[in-house]
Amino acid sequence: MSFIIRRIMFYLVAFLVAATINFLLPRLMPGNPIDIMFANAGNSLPPEAKKALAETFGFVERPLIEEYFIYLKSVFSWDFGVSIKKYPLTVMDVLMQALPWTLFLAGTSVILAFCIGSLLGIYAAWKRGGSFDSVISPSALAVQSVPALVIGITTLYIFGLVLEVLPTSYAYDPSIDPGFTWEYLSSVFYHALMPIGTLAFVSIGGYLITMRNNMIGQLGEEHVVMGHAKGLSDKRVRYNYAARNALLPSMTAFALSLGSVMGGSLIIEIVFNYPGLGNILFQGIIARDYPLIQGQLIIMTLAMLTANLLIDFIYIFLDPRLRKA
Amino acid sequence: MLKFFSIVMRNKKATAGMLIVLAYIALALAAPLITSHDPAKRVARPHQAPSVEHVMGSTRMGRDVYTQFVWGTRTSLMVGFSAGLIVTVIGTLIGVTAGYFGGVIDESLNFITNIALVIPQLPLLLVLAAFIGKSDPFMIALIIGLTSWAWGARVTRAQTLTLRRREFVEASEQIGEPSWRIICIELMPNLLSIIGFNFIGSVVYTIITQATLEFLGLGDPLAVSWGNMLYNAQTSSAITVGAWWEMFAPCFAIVTIGIGLSLLNFGVDEISNPRLRTLGAINKAVKAQKKFDRSYKSAKGAAS
Repeated sequence: MSFIIRRIMFYLVAFLVAATINFLLPRLMPGNPIDIMFANAGNSLPPEAKKALAETFGFVERPLIEEYFIYLKSVFSWDFGVSIKKYPLTVMDVLMQALPWTLFLAGTSVILAFCIGSLLGIYAAWKRGGSFDSVISPSALAVQSVPALVIGITTLYIFGLVLEVLPTSYAYDPSIDPGFTWEYLSSVFYHALMPIGTLAFVSIGGYLITMRNNMIGQLGEEHVVMGHAKGLSDKRVRYNYAARNALLPSMTAFALSLGSVMGGSLIIEIVFNYPGLGNILFQGIIARDYPLIQGQLIIMTLAMLTANLLIDFIYIFLDPRLRKA
Repeated sequence: MLKFFSIVMRNKKATAGMLIVLAYIALALAAPLITSHDPAKRVARPHQAPSVEHVMGSTRMGRDVYTQFVWGTRTSLMVGFSAGLIVTVIGTLIGVTAGYFGGVIDESLNFITNIALVIPQLPLLLVLAAFIGKSDPFMIALIIGLTSWAWGARVTRAQTLTLRRREFVEASEQIGEPSWRIICIELMPNLLSIIGFNFIGSVVYTIITQATLEFLGLGDPLAVSWGNMLYNAQTSSAITVGAWWEMFAPCFAIVTIGIGLSLLNFGVDEISNPRLRTLGAINKAVKAQKKFDRSYKSAKGAAS
């Protein structure tokens, strides 16, 4: 139990660090950041928005430390200021509309990639040196070094524009009303096929290689030899003896890769014009919408920390040593 | 240096990777000799398909794609290597210090490393780049370098911790060698392969991330680089109007340099860790054994 409490404390500190970066950066800029934000926005913002924005970011004539606490208070009460690009909407509103789509994309593809990659890795290690291993492992290495951006553009071009079999933008057909209907869900699925496929494809290679290398290490261990000697079936030795232990370092790699998957998801959304955080962010960057860009760091950090906490629970399940502590 | 090449040549993957990387370095160095246009000037009509005059076609702005590709190689390699250097120096310093000194130093450094690992990279870079404004390639190298050292620090620390308990380190401690000597003379040579792995990996990561940041419109639009080529192609919707060549050149460049560096990296890793070797090496060993058995048998047959 104390393991989980320690982790939660750690995540809290990590969250504070992200918030502090957000607090300090505008203050390191020359001039008054709120004025600069407004100069960028042109005259689309009314003066009262300026005051609200200044208060959210703690730009009030106080000592720095007090400004910091005012800022922290607004972060913890989910107030990230107003979006400059989509003015009447707050940053929170804009991000919350987009976040579910990003979580859907990133979550589905990362789980898909981890399961497929690890299973292939287990198999490649088990038949090490066989024809399967010698084809799949080098190709996994090659795929691993190809960025999501490039694979996204290529699939978009081939399936979306040359073959015209898959839609090239939006999350669902705009002529369908969102709702819990078969028509809507199938449209969502159809539109997500290419982005999820691309994202999963990019990260499969990494999981495959990690699993294969861990598994090869495990296969040389004595408990695996003993499993064989006891006359257990290959399947049981493979999954319950070797793979279960090889999965632990793999989970660490999985947790570390979440950040890059989220980054990849941002890029993929821009390429496929998918209405997630990435797309919102792209528009925000072009309009120099600083509150929006800062808000996404907080939201993404939160998503990342929550995912890490979930992985900690899985750790406890996989590693009995942690349960006692 | 010569010894390094002869080690690399022993492994097929490493050799292939080495050749690709050297080819790109040659391209970057020879940029003024092999291009005849100015990469930032209008030299053709917009969106011309590849032809004899413009081997890789022209962009929406009428710039020569081939020229931009060659000059972009310069930018990407310079950014990649300088950020890789920053990442490796910071990562190694933190990792070795934490792993060697242990105690409170280790705990605090490890804590910082873990926090840096858990904050998502790309969103953080976006915030930094957005506030810095039109970041030129070197600014991008600097911010990538300063934010991406955590993975290297973690791996280096783990390796230092295992080395720390070996007899030769303990022996040097017992005879009273100063810490700097133990770190530089005893530990460093054993950490070299991990540091090298970290460096090459960081270069790949930086090249991809720089392209991504510029693709998102956070770079200096006047710089000639692969990322800006992608950004211009995306904003002029090159793919949708069928001008695939405008996208193809930078994509091809990023993919091949990435594959080249990774092959080099994994090849070197295989050389230093024989357990990871695939088919080729194992088959070779099996064949050698069979050949030995045969000659042994025939030798025995001849003797009897």
